[in-house]
Amino acid sequence: MHPGFFNHLLLISQFELKRGFATRRGILSIVTFAVVWCVILLYPLHFAAELLVQEKDLTRDAGFFDFIGLGSLQQWPIPEFGLFWHFALLIFPMLSITLAADQTCSDRERGTLRFLVVRSSRDSVFFGRFAGVMAIQALWVSATALSTLALVLYRDAALLYSALPDLLVVTVNLILAVLPFTAMMAALSAKVKSARQATVWAILIWTFLAGIIGGFAYYLPALAFFKFLIPGYQLSDLAELSGWQTLQLAYVPLMQSLILLALGRWIMARQAL
Amino acid sequence: MRSPIIHCQQLTHTYSGKVALSGVSFELDAGEPVGLVGPNGAGKTTLLSILSGFLHPTSGTVRLFGHPPGAAQLIGKVSALPQDARLDPSFTIIEQLVFYARLQGFTTQQAVLEAGRVLEEVSLQEAAHEKPLALSHGMAKRVAIAQALIGKPALILLDEPTAGLDPVNVRTVRAIIAEQSPATTFIISSHDLAELDRLCKHILLLEDGILQPETIVLNEQQAAIRFITLQMETCPAQEVIAELQALEGVLQVTNSQKNEFIVAYDPDLQPHMDLQLMQCINIHHWQYRQLSHGKTLEEKLFFKD
Repeated sequence: MHPGFFNHLLLISQFELKRGFATRRGILSIVTFAVVWCVILLYPLHFAAELLVQEKDLTRDAGFFDFIGLGSLQQWPIPEFGLFWHFALLIFPMLSITLAADQTCSDRERGTLRFLVVRSSRDSVFFGRFAGVMAIQALWVSATALSTLALVLYRDAALLYSALPDLLVVTVNLILAVLPFTAMMAALSAKVKSARQATVWAILIWTFLAGIIGGFAYYLPALAFFKFLIPGYQLSDLAELSGWQTLQLAYVPLMQSLILLALGRWIMARQAL
Repeated sequence: MRSPIIHCQQLTHTYSGKVALSGVSFELDAGEPVGLVGPNGAGKTTLLSILSGFLHPTSGTVRLFGHPPGAAQLIGKVSALPQDARLDPSFTIIEQLVFYARLQGFTTQQAVLEAGRVLEEVSLQEAAHEKPLALSHGMAKRVAIAQALIGKPALILLDEPTAGLDPVNVRTVRAIIAEQSPATTFIISSHDLAELDRLCKHILLLEDGILQPETIVLNEQQAAIRFITLQMETCPAQEVIAELQALEGVLQVTNSQKNEFIVAYDPDLQPHMDLQLMQCINIHHWQYRQLSHGKTLEEKLFFKD
């Protein structure tokens, strides 16, 4: 008896996790990101958090962060997480475009997908790869959130219990934020020939879609509804929120992901391998 | 009730308006290996890709064991060696074969044993922990054959299985096919007609995407006219033809290529034509290289008259 769809999904996503953490390419990506993240954590994030702590002690009315448009940072009870939130909302969606670009394209060009589809359905391969890449990103997000927690505890170990809810909320929200970007890359990867092509197309589509819909919506506000189709549409609004409020917009990435995954599945089912 | 393992009905496939397969219909039963031959661009790889589920036909229907290609019911039952497909360069051979076996429903422990077994079949146990890029073309081909053998499927579709292999490994592949037939039915696409001649009883001939009307049966024991192919060392061709033509029961002698003669004869008039030919060669002190019953596959396919 051959395994069913969910068993294949699990096996394929586990294999992707292995690719992300136990291959030379995966380890190289982790080391590179770890170095970059360490620099962000120890310098901009650490110093800005110290500044916020000092500012809180001085005055709440006319701070530097209000002046530069990042006043919402002060709503976070633990400033490190507020800053992490802002940094991560910029970094992870961009990272997702490169990290998730090669879900199926190079394997299809190489013919490796043929070895897989005689043993599993195209759906299992498509969703298994997506789930695997999402799991890798979830672990990266969790690792960076935990490193931020370590920074908080280094400043004040007594903040552990009050920091845990923030840790959870930013982790969940960031995973939701990268979801539509990963789904977009899954759909593009099912069509194009290489990861580079997928990345270029993602940037072009994202830019033109945002520009065109934004332009039309300016003259015809009813069309603003279509902004929901742009992955990351909610990110600027999300940056203004803090704590559990950030989940108010969770429906946007979920809806976008469903639409993009349905599109990707449709492409994958029709594609010659 | 007879149920064919492959049933194709009016299969047509076009690439950007260019017809690769046109109205191909055939049925195949389980059993001896079947050869798929035809010139370059005849549609062999397209047909095998459709049967394997890599490609959807533009029109027509295909059923393998009563199911469409790619159906869950075919997992572990149908396997394929796709032409020019390569393994993932990031993982070792054994990691990938174990993964494929796991997808076919083996437990981890069984999968490790099965991966070892198929690598042993193609004499590549020592390369198990190598990555694909470290393998030569021939070794990569053998690994690709090994993956097709996982789980002993009932039907294996082989696209050019011996292309790029050295004679020793060609012999290994031939031995694997011979050993697993007819428990496993092999469909073999190849340009190596001598190889197909050795392996297959039936041949499907594709030309310009059209399947030729009748499959060619290589067994001629029941035929009214039989053939012997005689390969000589350097010899006077005209004299050989004249002498052979004069033998009892000989209907026609053709000089198909240099030093090769095809003798058509009536087995009712002379059932031991081979002995008669040997005697004739001996009397004239000619040297022969090989005498074989039947025409070569090349002669049957491309020089029918």
